[in-house]
Amino acid sequence: MDNTSLFVVVLLTGLALVILGLTAAILLSPKSINFQKGETYECGLPTRGTSWMQFRVGYYLYAILFLMFDVETIFLFPWATVVRQLGTSGFISVLIFVVILGLGLAYAWRKGVLKWT
Amino acid sequence: MAEQIIFYILALVIAVFSIMAVTSKKVIRSATYLLFVLLATAGLFLMLNYYYLFAVQVTVYAGGVMILFIMAIFLTHKPGDEFKTKMNWKVKSSAILSVLGLLLSGYIVVANVTRIINYVSGKEMKMQELGVTMMGTEKYQFLLPFEAMSVLLLACIIGAIMIARKEKNNVESNNDLDK
Repeated sequence: MDNTSLFVVVLLTGLALVILGLTAAILLSPKSINFQKGETYECGLPTRGTSWMQFRVGYYLYAILFLMFDVETIFLFPWATVVRQLGTSGFISVLIFVVILGLGLAYAWRKGVLKWT
Repeated sequence: MAEQIIFYILALVIAVFSIMAVTSKKVIRSATYLLFVLLATAGLFLMLNYYYLFAVQVTVYAGGVMILFIMAIFLTHKPGDEFKTKMNWKVKSSAILSVLGLLLSGYIVVANVTRIINYVSGKEMKMQELGVTMMGTEKYQFLLPFEAMSVLLLACIIGAIMIARKEKNNVESNNDLDK
């Protein structure tokens, strides 16, 4: 069997497994329809208000910090594959890169962004 | 053949979820559909053997930028259930504009298709080569822009904190509002 037909067989088998499983679940499972079933469950008590609330800005700042260091990681990634080949000079350049970004973390720390009150 | 099937599946996913992201009335759902679009785009990069772009797409876009979007949505007051397109002329004019944009970009793609094929060689871009190019100081190597990137990111961090966080004496009243 060549590659393509093998691929098609795997694809169709995967689809069939999902469809068969879901169909079997629909056919075999007991059914009950009532109003309470669709309600939000919160420790058995009736819920108050909507689930939508405004989050504090602290979460957003954490997200921004995460994104920045995420981008930093992606720049370190190609270096990590050749770290032995580049040796000390590469390590020093990366160290400068990380230290400059560390200043940003230090600034955030100093400004109390990391404090959770 | 197998590659073509995967490509068409990815293209279908991108097209369908792009439209759903724009037409969905609930903003969190739009963000989720956008996440699927970004992941499918990552799959396209993987098919072209662009492993670095794949990693960037998954970590930065599907990971970081999506989290930022969702946090920005959480910051808003209302979920936007009552969002209705009252301004009909706005919808019409933007539809005309997007069709014009599609025609323009389609014309550019069709006119330059031979050159684009040259760029997209499908040749594997090795991560090791990228690393050497990024860290080297020779001609066509980019150590200085690499270091400058860290300064740019630093500016982003400080700018974001400056904008999002008020000065000390305003912090108390700000927190009260948040609760």
